[in-house]
Amino acid sequence: MTSKPSVSWQKNPALAWREIDDATVIISPTDSVMHELNDTGSFLWKNIDGRRSAAELAGLLAESYEVAPDVALTDTQALLDEMSTRKLVVPIPAAGGDLR
Amino acid sequence: MSAPDANSGGGRQQQFEFSIGCVPFQLQMSDERLFRAASVRYAAFTGATSQPIRIALNDSSTAESQPADFAYAFEGAVLRADSRKIRFDGVRNEYALDSLLRILLSWKLTGRNGFLLHAATVIRNGKAYVFTGRSGAGKSTVASLSPIGSVLTDEISLLRRENGEWRAYGTPFWGEFRAAGSNTSAPVRGIFRLVQAAENRVALLRPIEMIRALLPNVLFFSSESKANRRLLEIVGQAAEEAPGYELAFRKAPAFWEALPA
Repeated sequence: MTSKPSVSWQKNPALAWREIDDATVIISPTDSVMHELNDTGSFLWKNIDGRRSAAELAGLLAESYEVAPDVALTDTQALLDEMSTRKLVVPIPAAGGDLR
Repeated sequence: MSAPDANSGGGRQQQFEFSIGCVPFQLQMSDERLFRAASVRYAAFTGATSQPIRIALNDSSTAESQPADFAYAFEGAVLRADSRKIRFDGVRNEYALDSLLRILLSWKLTGRNGFLLHAATVIRNGKAYVFTGRSGAGKSTVASLSPIGSVLTDEISLLRRENGEWRAYGTPFWGEFRAAGSNTSAPVRGIFRLVQAAENRVALLRPIEMIRALLPNVLFFSSESKANRRLLEIVGQAAEEAPGYELAFRKAPAFWEALPA
């Protein structure tokens, strides 16, 4: 899956999660699978709010971690794709956009 | 255990009360054989309780009245809980009863800052040493290498946070050690992730390492998001507050010497 500007991201509402140390632990109640996000993944997770796109999330990441914008965007898209594959996040159409 | 209190048609309705980890239950049933079996199985945990959680066992006289808040089926036996009552149906023997009781208890504990953990618990100097791990990790071995009378359980421990302190309770759910469990509790000295090794060694675990050790061994059966969020909150708090260790041990009583006092 490739993140598109017209797509924003939200956490899968079925999940349970908790921050511990610098990580985020997520459990999927339906299959009892535990997932773990590292520091960067946790930062993104905290900022995934159902409104922000990959580009907006990458902007926050670049600002907080002082990395180049293009690197931040590449990392953000890779993380979102991974989280999407694991059904941790779901894409929703941003205002005026769709998922097609 | 209370005396039989009523006669309800086909079988004489009997009830008894018991508590596990200070969670009070009252079982109501008319099956004499099951009553006797349950009386033996939970003998160490019986006693009158206030405001017990009432469970109607194999009670065909009452119909399901509303959607269940929580339901779970296990090998033909079914648990249904709603705001007014709890039913266990299709229970053929004490093992099925035991299974539904574990499932119900795991659910009820989230409202009481607690959870069930695959773990043996041993009391030493008034403190609870909790040894967790999957089947084969060594829980029963640890129990068998501990002094007689010191084992609260060799299979399923109950942990609760009370007044800012984590306590471990014995349960009637036993494993290979075949102890009947002990209805007592003690403050948690440490939770130990078991690893069998050639020599004894203890290493402190960080909270994130501790939650990795705990979560796969927590007994929980609800797939409902809210309940799982509460569970994760409680288990995460235990990982942060209770001292967590990895215990590499060899099968000999000397492993106790490696543990913190």
